[in-house]
Amino acid sequence: MTARLRRLPASLVVAAALFTLFALVVPRFGTPGNLENLARVAAILAIASCGQALVLVIGAIEFSFGSAVALASVVAVLVLPEAGPVAAFAAAFLTVVAISSLNGALVGYAALPPVVVTLGTLMVAHGAAATLAGGLPIDAAPSDVFRWPATGRIAGISVPVWLAAASLLVLAFLLSRSVLGRRLFLAGANPEAARLSGVRLARTRLAAYVLAGAFCGLAAIILTSRVGSGQPNLMPNLPFLTIAACAVGGIPLSGGRGTALEVLAGVAVVAMLNNATILLNYPPAVQLLLTAGVIVGAVLVQSDAVRRVFAGGRAR
Amino acid sequence: MTLRLPRATVALVCLGVVWLGFGLLIERVWTFGNLASVASQLTVLALLAAGQMAALTVRGFDISVGATAALASTAAALGANAFGPVGFLAGPLAGLLVGALNGFLVARLKVQPIIATLGTLIGCRGLATLISDNGQVVVLTDPSAVTWLAYGRWLGFAPSVWLVLLVVLVLAVAIHGTVAGRRLVMVGSNPGAAALVGIDVAAVEAGAYRICGLFAGLAGLVMVTRAGAGLPADAGGLELQSIAAAVIGGTSLSGGVAPVIGTLLGAGFIQSLLSGLNLAGVSPFSAEIAVGAVIIAAAFVATAPALISRIRSGSTNQRTVP
Repeated sequence: MTARLRRLPASLVVAAALFTLFALVVPRFGTPGNLENLARVAAILAIASCGQALVLVIGAIEFSFGSAVALASVVAVLVLPEAGPVAAFAAAFLTVVAISSLNGALVGYAALPPVVVTLGTLMVAHGAAATLAGGLPIDAAPSDVFRWPATGRIAGISVPVWLAAASLLVLAFLLSRSVLGRRLFLAGANPEAARLSGVRLARTRLAAYVLAGAFCGLAAIILTSRVGSGQPNLMPNLPFLTIAACAVGGIPLSGGRGTALEVLAGVAVVAMLNNATILLNYPPAVQLLLTAGVIVGAVLVQSDAVRRVFAGGRAR
Repeated sequence: MTLRLPRATVALVCLGVVWLGFGLLIERVWTFGNLASVASQLTVLALLAAGQMAALTVRGFDISVGATAALASTAAALGANAFGPVGFLAGPLAGLLVGALNGFLVARLKVQPIIATLGTLIGCRGLATLISDNGQVVVLTDPSAVTWLAYGRWLGFAPSVWLVLLVVLVLAVAIHGTVAGRRLVMVGSNPGAAALVGIDVAAVEAGAYRICGLFAGLAGLVMVTRAGAGLPADAGGLELQSIAAAVIGGTSLSGGVAPVIGTLLGAGFIQSLLSGLNLAGVSPFSAEIAVGAVIIAAAFVATAPALISRIRSGSTNQRTVP
């Protein structure tokens, strides 16, 4: 194998293999209609995963996505009648960014453990969303502008897919071409060395969270537009799905590594799996078990322990 | 350098403040009946938090405890319906098996704890749905035998309160008084040193996850006694509360500390806060905001000593602990 091919993430091969398998075995999987549906559903996960990846790169984690998008949808629907759809989307976006910025400040400047902080804000945001909405979903007045981020099309391709592609490109640029990206990697791989070489750790960590919030805010806009209502329980498993997608893609949770291509591959695997189990009409129980198996399995396949076995005991 | 207080101090003070505060604001808080009621509600969280503490002690993390408890409660109810009282053992057994799987994935295969336990979280929900007719509650054919444990009275409290207290005390003695317990703490505080003195680090880590799973299984059993049924879709969100309880109780997220009694007090604090807010007529949604804020405050308290020493030494060296 050439060196260039070798540098491609293993998860991309897994994704391609899974795609081929599903296309051959699962009825209707390969039809244009299903592929478009798959891309539209995967787009939301891809955009939010871009945010999660940034946070994972600095060795932190973000759980609050799960209720940040819910709070954003409630805020958007409450703002909508007074201020119109554009302001509603801006409010949704800023809600998510505000929550992530709070996380970033607490993790960066107060040096609190990311797990505890983001689980805490997850609960606070869910409580706030449910309190604002009175515990029940609130409907938004339907309008073309409000539906556009989820259902609109540009040049025949749906808007969420465009936004996902743009997000992945921005992530690729941030991680591999920008100074900030270098700082994120350094802060994740070796905080002490990063500090000694002049990286301001607290500020870098805050930046990672704020940008993660921006990606997730975009996902929140599409989600709100898609459900057309404010839902206090909108996609509570989003943080788990994004973490799973990044991990399946090959980004270690210990920080210091990660690429946009890995995010794409991980999202593809998770989204295709969901899509295929639905097409095969498996009961929810089997869907859950399969998802669990693939998440752990895909991470295992890429782990050093398993690689060593395949490499014939050679130390890496 | 910093003043040394017992690790449980923070949890004890929090607990005192909650009872004092709500007692002054609301009638009927300072009654024995309320105390017994909170103690009875506390049983599930106390077990989950104690197990979570074991995983945290070895620098691990278990977000599957809620789902494991739900699976265990379903297994226990199915077992009891099929085989009589012996069948209840299916609950703790299911918990132990999930814990063993977590331990195998994390300690032997070196999967990151969050991914491994996220996998088992989803898997447990799937399995519970599978064995329970698509997530329906599994009603016990003869619930009177076990609901007495949760709603009867023995020396003033429900029998399950005494049983849970006994189990947690056994864990405390095992951790602080046995060689295996010392190994657990040592592996958490310095895995490298532990390996150098001949401790099988991976085996100890796997053991911690088995304890965590077993305690989640016992929590599932308590859920059955409280509801008179197996609850395959219940106990969501308890994993967060269990982590919060352990951290408030003095457990360090970077491992090496196992304050069992502190964790019990931390769980007591969270449950008392929820009950107090409920008695005060606060909606459960707003109560959630309070608990979330408390979790973040707990993180401040937990990291305060490190923060103070860092400021004193003028260094900004900080490790994030995912």
